[in-house]
Amino acid sequence: MRALVIGIGSSHGDDAVGLLVAQRLASEPLPEGVTVVERDRPGLSLLDDLESTPAVVIVDALRSGAAPGSVLRIPPAALARERLTSSHTLRVAETLMLAVALGRPLPALRIVAIEIVAMEGETLSPEVAAAVEPACAAARAALEELLPRA
Amino acid sequence: MAERRTIEVGALARVEGQGALHLTLEGDRVVELRLEIYEPPRFFEGFLRGRAARELPDLMARICGICPVAYQMSAVHAVESIFDVTIDPAVRQLRRLFTCGEWIESHLLHMFFLAAPDYLGLDDGIAVAKLHPVQVERALRLRKLGHRILALLGGRPVNPVGACIGGFARAPTRSEMASLESELVHAAGEAEACLRWIASLPIPSRPQEIELVSLRHPHEYPMNEGRLVSTRGLDVAVSEFDSAFVESQVPHSTALHCRRRDGGAYLVGPLARLALNAEHLTPAASAALETLRPRLPSFDPAASVLARGIEVLYACEEALRIARSYEPPAAPAASWTPCAGVGHGATEAPRGLLYVRVETDAAGDVVAIRIVPPTAQNQARIEDDLRLLAPRVLALSHDEARRSCESAIRDYDPCISCSTHFLTLEIERRIRSED
Repeated sequence: MRALVIGIGSSHGDDAVGLLVAQRLASEPLPEGVTVVERDRPGLSLLDDLESTPAVVIVDALRSGAAPGSVLRIPPAALARERLTSSHTLRVAETLMLAVALGRPLPALRIVAIEIVAMEGETLSPEVAAAVEPACAAARAALEELLPRA
Repeated sequence: MAERRTIEVGALARVEGQGALHLTLEGDRVVELRLEIYEPPRFFEGFLRGRAARELPDLMARICGICPVAYQMSAVHAVESIFDVTIDPAVRQLRRLFTCGEWIESHLLHMFFLAAPDYLGLDDGIAVAKLHPVQVERALRLRKLGHRILALLGGRPVNPVGACIGGFARAPTRSEMASLESELVHAAGEAEACLRWIASLPIPSRPQEIELVSLRHPHEYPMNEGRLVSTRGLDVAVSEFDSAFVESQVPHSTALHCRRRDGGAYLVGPLARLALNAEHLTPAASAALETLRPRLPSFDPAASVLARGIEVLYACEEALRIARSYEPPAAPAASWTPCAGVGHGATEAPRGLLYVRVETDAAGDVVAIRIVPPTAQNQARIEDDLRLLAPRVLALSHDEARRSCESAIRDYDPCISCSTHFLTLEIERRIRSED
């Protein structure tokens, strides 16, 4: 495996967006050696994903005050520094900090975040649903950066 | 006039779910103490009505991301008692293995990431990892093994879907079990090392008069079956839960408080299991317990973390025993025919006894269900504990007082959410002093 895309989320309303982006990506042709996984609130087990591959793209929901449906690229370092808040960012940030604290080598990492609106209901808000496609594109662009050119 | 002092912990850190503590002292007297649980009530008992009993295992697993197995297995046992299902002994062993996985994962999380920072005076598990990377890496390795067991039997480690009425959707193959066995061979040694390290930390002491309650099984350390027993002589069948305990609503909490019929608070969890079932521990776990006497078995909630360590060791030995002796069952699940009736199930979740009562109609649909999680049972006990602790925190600074109260609450490893896992975005801690 050359790279791993991890869609993080839960079944709570817009919070599912990371999972849906992963599903969409997995249904389309991807560069060779790219694996896509969905992780429902992985907590510490995110560490296992991080150690399994040299390059990782994380796709997650975010609440930062940006316009709903915005697709943002977040530098991993900013995650810890800014304490960006989402249902999972703290967990993701904490997990990354834990890996660093343990002296584990981190994979090359890109984070694609989608600004969400509501954590309730069974479907996505319209703004967030409209962001699935752009988020897939952002994840593909992140993969391009990470994968060494053939 | 006596000093009046209020300690508020706005959002409890390092517990699962959303809770807060409000404590007001006058002199060394506790004027007011409320463990506030403001998680929105989840209405699981309401929306499970009308669902087919076969749907219960998957739906119940969604109540908790940390102890899904205990929730689903309590419901499964309750339903199986109604439908009079006979369980293959090999399936019964797999169910114990499933619980081993959940205990290993949940207990290690508590020991290293929730409790250890308290003993070391650190903010969180990340700080512990910086100072003690070897210890934390060991705990993570072992925790991964728990995860592995849950994935093998549950189909996936989070929101497992493998369990069903009668058994499992699929049983592991011999080679899958052999592969797990090879990973479990060194687990007990790792668990011993985890326990030794935790036991070497300055763990506080708060011995008190408590009634400890757990399941007890005649031949084994309790997981899915047994009678309800206590250190004060309670000994009834699970179906007689209501003869011994009563649930009531309190204004400051969305979780029901559960008490003994005589009004007393009681404690469920590893401390209780150990006190009431120590004779059924596996050899290494039993030997480890000997080295911890007189701290364990005991009536000291602060020693719960050591009981967790013993249970991790027990679960590693028990899981290895089950993997070694594994013979795949003839069928992964027994067949059954739905019928009307009332059934009761109780399991030992990592944080304690979890009771479920199910009533079905002739089609096997749920007419009514009651779910009594361990944290609801421990809530009154936690408040009693804090009442005893409160006078001792008077002399401390606000920050130390808050830490001390939070640490005491964490000893119970409360799982306040017990159904949704929307994590608090910002952790706010607040202490206010008033005259």
